[in-house]
Amino acid sequence: MEDQTPNRLDMDLVRQKLADKRGPAYWRSLEEIAETPEFQGWLDDEFPHRRTLLEIDRRSLLKYMGASLALAGLAGCRGMELEELKVVPYVKQPEEMVPGKPLFYATAWTLGGVGLGLLVESHEGRPTKIEGNPDHPGSLGATTAQTQAAILSLYDPDRSAMVLNDGDGSTWDAFMDAVAAEFSNQKAVHGAGIRILTEVVVSPTLKAQLDGFLKVYPGARWHQYEPFARDNAFDGANLAFGQPVEAVYHLTKAKVIVSLDSDFLQDGLESVVLARQFAEGRRKLTAEDMNRLYVFESQLTCTGATSDHRWSMKPSSVHAVATALLQSVRSQGAVSPPKELSGADFNAVVQDLLAHRGQAVVIVGDQQPPEVHAIGHALNVALGAVGQTVTYHEPRAAHAVHTGRDLKSLVDDMNAGKVDVLVMLGGNPVFDAPVDYNFGEALKRVSRLRIRYGLYEDETTDACAAVDGGHSWHLPATHFLEQWSDTRGYDGTATVAQPLTAPLYDARSPHQLVAALAGDGAPGHDLMSDGYQIIADHWQSSGHISGDFDKGLAEVLHAGIVPNTTLAPRVVALKTFDAAPPSTTGFEVVLRPDPNLHDGRFNNNGWLMELPRPMTQLVWDNAAIISLKDAETLGVQRGDVVQVTVGKQTLAIPAFPQPGHPVGSVLIHTGFGRTKTGSVGMPTQHQSLMGFDLYAKTVGVDSYVLKTSGAAAYVTGATLTKTGQSETLVSTQIHHSMEGRDIVRAGTLAEYLRVPSLNPDKLANPPIVEQGDLDTGVPTETPEQPNIDMYPEEIWTTNLPQWGMTIDLNLCTGCNACITACQAENNIPVVGKTQVMKGREMQWLRIDRYYGGADPDNPSEVLVQPVACVQCEKAPCEPVCPVGATVHSHEGLNQMVYNRCVGTRYCSNNCPYKVRRFNFLDYSNLQFQFTEPATLINKIYKKDGVSLLKMVSNPDVTVRGRGVMEKCSYCVQRINDARIEAKKAGQEIQDGAILTACQQVCPTKTILFGNIADKKSEVFKSRSDERAYRLLEELNTRPRTSHLGKVRNVNPAITAQEGTA
Amino acid sequence: MAENQQLIEGNQTYASLDTVIGDVVLDQRRHKLPWLTTFGIASIFALFVLPLTLAWLLYQGIGVWGNNIPVGWGFPIVNFVWWIGIGHAGTLISAILLLLRQQWRNSINRFAEAMTIFAVMCAGMYPLFHTGRPWVAAYWLLPYPNIMAVWPQFRSPLMWDVFAVSTYFTVSLVFWFLGLVPDFATLRDKATNKFAKYAYAIPAMGWRGSHRHWHRYEQAYLILAGLSTPLVLSVHTIVSYDFAVSIVPGWNVTVFPPYFVAGAVFAGFAMVLLLAIPVRALYGLKDLITMRHIDWMAKIMLTTGLIVFYGYNLEVFYGWFSGEKVETALMQWRFYGPYAWAYWLLIFCNGIAPQILWSPKARRNIPIVWTVSFIVTIGMWLERFVIIPMSLMRNYLPSSDRMFIPTFWDFSMFFGTIGFFIFMMFLFVRFMPSITIFEMKDLLYKLGADKKPQSDAVGAGEAH
Amino acid sequence: MAQLFKPSANSYAKSSLIFSIAAPVVIGLGIAAMSRSPINTKVDVPKNQPVPFSHQHHAWELGIDCRYCHTSVEKSAYAGLPATEICMSCHSQIWTNSPLLEPIRQSYATGTPIKWTLVNKVPDFVFFNHSIHIARGINCNTCHGAVEQMNITFKGSSFMMSWCLQCHRAPQNYLYPETDVAGHVVTDRTPRQKVFDLYWKIQEDGLDKLNDREMQLATGEDPISTNSTDVAEGRKLVNQYGVKVQQLADCWVCHR
Repeated sequence: MEDQTPNRLDMDLVRQKLADKRGPAYWRSLEEIAETPEFQGWLDDEFPHRRTLLEIDRRSLLKYMGASLALAGLAGCRGMELEELKVVPYVKQPEEMVPGKPLFYATAWTLGGVGLGLLVESHEGRPTKIEGNPDHPGSLGATTAQTQAAILSLYDPDRSAMVLNDGDGSTWDAFMDAVAAEFSNQKAVHGAGIRILTEVVVSPTLKAQLDGFLKVYPGARWHQYEPFARDNAFDGANLAFGQPVEAVYHLTKAKVIVSLDSDFLQDGLESVVLARQFAEGRRKLTAEDMNRLYVFESQLTCTGATSDHRWSMKPSSVHAVATALLQSVRSQGAVSPPKELSGADFNAVVQDLLAHRGQAVVIVGDQQPPEVHAIGHALNVALGAVGQTVTYHEPRAAHAVHTGRDLKSLVDDMNAGKVDVLVMLGGNPVFDAPVDYNFGEALKRVSRLRIRYGLYEDETTDACAAVDGGHSWHLPATHFLEQWSDTRGYDGTATVAQPLTAPLYDARSPHQLVAALAGDGAPGHDLMSDGYQIIADHWQSSGHISGDFDKGLAEVLHAGIVPNTTLAPRVVALKTFDAAPPSTTGFEVVLRPDPNLHDGRFNNNGWLMELPRPMTQLVWDNAAIISLKDAETLGVQRGDVVQVTVGKQTLAIPAFPQPGHPVGSVLIHTGFGRTKTGSVGMPTQHQSLMGFDLYAKTVGVDSYVLKTSGAAAYVTGATLTKTGQSETLVSTQIHHSMEGRDIVRAGTLAEYLRVPSLNPDKLANPPIVEQGDLDTGVPTETPEQPNIDMYPEEIWTTNLPQWGMTIDLNLCTGCNACITACQAENNIPVVGKTQVMKGREMQWLRIDRYYGGADPDNPSEVLVQPVACVQCEKAPCEPVCPVGATVHSHEGLNQMVYNRCVGTRYCSNNCPYKVRRFNFLDYSNLQFQFTEPATLINKIYKKDGVSLLKMVSNPDVTVRGRGVMEKCSYCVQRINDARIEAKKAGQEIQDGAILTACQQVCPTKTILFGNIADKKSEVFKSRSDERAYRLLEELNTRPRTSHLGKVRNVNPAITAQEGTA
Repeated sequence: MAENQQLIEGNQTYASLDTVIGDVVLDQRRHKLPWLTTFGIASIFALFVLPLTLAWLLYQGIGVWGNNIPVGWGFPIVNFVWWIGIGHAGTLISAILLLLRQQWRNSINRFAEAMTIFAVMCAGMYPLFHTGRPWVAAYWLLPYPNIMAVWPQFRSPLMWDVFAVSTYFTVSLVFWFLGLVPDFATLRDKATNKFAKYAYAIPAMGWRGSHRHWHRYEQAYLILAGLSTPLVLSVHTIVSYDFAVSIVPGWNVTVFPPYFVAGAVFAGFAMVLLLAIPVRALYGLKDLITMRHIDWMAKIMLTTGLIVFYGYNLEVFYGWFSGEKVETALMQWRFYGPYAWAYWLLIFCNGIAPQILWSPKARRNIPIVWTVSFIVTIGMWLERFVIIPMSLMRNYLPSSDRMFIPTFWDFSMFFGTIGFFIFMMFLFVRFMPSITIFEMKDLLYKLGADKKPQSDAVGAGEAH
Repeated sequence: MAQLFKPSANSYAKSSLIFSIAAPVVIGLGIAAMSRSPINTKVDVPKNQPVPFSHQHHAWELGIDCRYCHTSVEKSAYAGLPATEICMSCHSQIWTNSPLLEPIRQSYATGTPIKWTLVNKVPDFVFFNHSIHIARGINCNTCHGAVEQMNITFKGSSFMMSWCLQCHRAPQNYLYPETDVAGHVVTDRTPRQKVFDLYWKIQEDGLDKLNDREMQLATGEDPISTNSTDVAEGRKLVNQYGVKVQQLADCWVCHR
């Protein structure tokens, strides 16, 4: 950011031209700008798929911006006249860059009060892919689905692009003048009229800045609000220990883990490291070493599916279980088992816990009420877990406040008319604040200045502008890849986050904004004040970086972590507290953050919208998730709209009967039904005839209308009624049972020890005692039939590496990170609800989910299985292709050649795994086709937005056009790169040198990839594991991908039919 | 009892034959309202619906259809197989029955051949357009030394299709045209209208009916018959390979080749009857397409129908006999799944309905025969629907099971091609002799018609 | 009755028959020829450039190494075009007032990149990598023709898939051992060095000292040789370089 680029002119040009433009006019004016030579030239080079920012240094903002706009403008005008293509070199080529080779930069992201260290891939200044930072303790190289998709938001054409003043385009300078004027008045009253509302702040710098601001304006107040902050957890900690400590778990040491309604394997950024730790304890398949997971939960989660024993219950009942557990543990034996499970089972759990003092841990879900958290802490103390499997630290968050109450006090001040100036840094309170606060109304009392700073123009923006009297400002925020900042990881480790690019739009970082507001004493402080400097100054003063600061900072930036910033454990003493059982009536409504959209902030992210929710496999919608029993009693099928009534609040939402969901409770995810968002979250909608739309509606329904401040965790006393209407809910899997086929192999630890292959036939028939053994009586397995085969095994007949993959179902939690990683790496388009409904989703990798057991309402097991192209050695797809577009490589890959494909789809018909995907429409050029039917108008009108989205494309992978078949390639672009580099270095490709995208992102290291012809390779070892089997082996397709059977460490004392996992 | 019926009824002379058949073409006033209305409706589909569908398809991609993953092949391939099947009667009648010296074929072969040509035209459209990008398909699929130094893959059944179907079409076309030459000559000579004279003179290619002409003609015709006989069997066998070769449950069935061929003949004759019956009524050809013909064709329908029905039963048997969970599941799905109605309707149409043809009365009852033919035509379409999309909807991995729901454009293209077919057939009936004149004369002669032909009535095209 | 046609009609008929058979063949051959000719491939068609840059002058007469300007050719898939800086590194000293170089000076002054016209291009779906070809001793001229003799640069080869496959299916026909002036085989040079040695040789000893293969390269003709001895030599090098021949023609080596 610091270096000045040669032609500053563009920027001003952009500014003037864009000042008063909105919508299409905005884009059109961008096209004018795009006419200027700098941008024109930028378009082409010798490798058009590398049509990237060749002349742009990563740090030189302004031209980058211009360039992105150029793409926006000229996408339509590119013809086939090859001889006219231009190629444009740099003027000054940056040192660190070799054109055509990507660079990786360490940075960090923050979500829900936790930071995650990242490495971001950048092609000639264009960030294209997010990876985890292996050196970061909170990431260890892995990330989550949301993290993977965050890169898409960077290029979102719907992002807030310019400063708005009372809804009209304006400039930052104008804003600063307005602020200067107003704040000078406030000076007089020491800023008594100023309120700042932020989300949960983790950034140490931002905290320091805000504290600084409060020094300048002592009268001002700083509030924090986030709909899914850790309020309950902190209250619970206060209740138990008298201080708001944050629990940090060390699951590697845990043998017995009890989850009280916590989805710690999938929910939030901390799930990355927790899942990794959990998996470590899963690998050792012996009665002594393998950990055991009990889950008591109010919905079917990834954690529940992974667990060894699972009981589903209303959220309120968790309290009873927790109390019973605590009493029993304290009194060394089961007392008063809760009604949710049989005494025997309960006793077994208690005994298991007692037997593992110091090796057991209890994890309570953030959404459970404070009392349960307190009990959980007490349990950990009673089990001697503290210091062993769990340590308590000071919170990562800058201020551990109860954001709900914090917001309340702000609202009160607003209603009392005490607030003249309200600055909202991020968040979207109008949309997600508790209804009874009625934030929108309160906003009308903010008489003078309503400042909204955010990534999108949303409900809050509109609400601010709608108020008459005073002025409202909307300020475009930078995406985290556009700004200098810092954050804290799961264990408190700090990271200095550097930008990967200049802001695409006229945006500023929160640090710049706060610095400007604080004005260092002088209002109207230059807003261009350097984002980098602010961060640098903070860390220089913090003293964590010793020696020559610039050098030190460079190292810190390179490593992605600041040394010795991990938060030290706190000594905690358990207080006596009374945890009154909750009173509950009628249905209980549980509002949870959507696994993909979180609180709604990712509402405009197509990848996340279309990513099947874990377990429900639901896309493009939220629903009232209820148990099959309740569905029966209500007489509703999937998609029938039910009316959820809580007090005077009502909500009409389609029902989704979900096996394994507790009776008497309804789960609704938030983040949908936005009334002001981008074209993904609010498209003209799916009901279409002959591809023409009939009417428009928002995606999903807004469930925040049921969120009340009183209910800390869940709303009770709700009633459900059938309305009679019904809507289409689309989920990517319509069939839920394995129909007795040998698809996912699973068994208990005992069964595994008896039949390591977990082969169902063998499990079913006990080994035959053969003649010889009758006297000894020792049973022996009937000998394996030799695999008679007419075809030669090719793996060993070549000196080339033979690629293969193993997927350990024992470790997979079904968190979906791999799907999104694949989507990001391989330029997989979003197709929209209508297309998914027709069965045309494009994700190369899918996670199949099967229920087991007799009782559909309470499946005895939930199995997840990632399936992508398994690269058959005898691939059925190959011989049937009339043009030979899919053929076998000498490295054993099943090659799909896009430019040869004519689209007969015979290969897909003949694929027993159905892992091939077809471009039924021109998806890659119609990233907006789900907003409108793919009509001519759409193609032309949306081009600009589409081409901006195209900036996210991986230049090493072809973008597939209409009528082309595609499928998983084992990330062949990575293989080729590794091969070429190895050859140039004159060596063989090292084991582990190639990570496929799905493997790299996986928190539990479920996926291994490598050369199966190399007997020393990890993948070979895992492939030779006894649990390894090949999907649909009987077809003799010889998959290169092997799955490893799932082993459940069930408690022998708990009988299978009762304990359900 | 069918024996004592004549293949030519009424009091026919060579001259009267010329008139009876020729005037259908030469006396345009004979084409009245029925012709016009049907033709009008057909042309709406042929000239408007079909082009519109294709345009929209080429602009959007095949996403406009109901196809999806796993159902990669939906209506287009169903219709393709259906049309190819219909196209079978022609060659069978003209080639095989000719070689078998079946005299009764003479009055229907021309008609059936024309039907073949048009049916194959309709069929041919589908494989080309179902890729959504025919331009690529066209030039990738043709084997020629290209600048990419790559060839099509001859292991693929689709590749075999390309050759099978195109060969079939070419041979049928030549066969048909060759047979027309002498009749064109007849019409040329009978025609009074100058335009018509020239119009028929050019395709007549200077036919003078000399001995050398006849000699060459007979030779060529026999050779072509010999050529096309294996085609009758090969084409649908190869089409059936598209499925039999795969490993899709419900497709990889060894019985497919014979039962597809039988099915094709079945469908072919059904279609011949479907069209021949009204035409014969409209244009007073009852004397030439007699009850005996209809009786014969009904018998063939019955026979092939039984073979097809046997095929269905075999499928079920193997579904159970294989012990494959997937196969069994598929059969269950056919019997009880959401599309079960299609399966049971199919059993009724192709299995039950034709059985009525056991009774001679029924075989000579025009309405019944026509209705049965109609039912069978529908049944044969259903058969392809049951085999193709319905098998694909169920998979080895239950997770990938999906429903297939056809869209408006699926139907519009289907009816478009039907329109196109009727459109062409009606043009044919109006402008070309739909019954072989000279062969009828030949037949009349062979039947030893008692009365000697009066010399004055001998037309130029007369068989010696 | 009256004849409808004159006797000439017969000859019309006959000739039309012949024509209908001949026409497709002729048309087909015509298209084939065109698609392989410069009309389509643009081989040997010089392109206008903002600055009339002469490779002959710089590479041949002055003997500047390719890598001086195409900096990333050994490291990256992309050979790299010289940044204006690189031009100016000399032209700030010499030809400082030449009107021909005005665009360069402009670019440097304003920071506006120069828009060169693209000469060599592969389609989007082809992932060509310069560095590995250099590392395997494939000389620049093998694909780009006699660049060092071009005044205004033009495309040296057709870049048709069949053309690529000539080498990818049989590299032994293209690899040849490096020889010194005396004609002895040079052993102490890596394939990568060999690529650029050719130009030094041309510099020092002129064309006549080159061996036939080098001559082919220097004069820009397809440096293929199928005579048994050369092929045998080529085979040796294939093994020596560790070129995995069977893999070279795998689709995903170039398309993905």
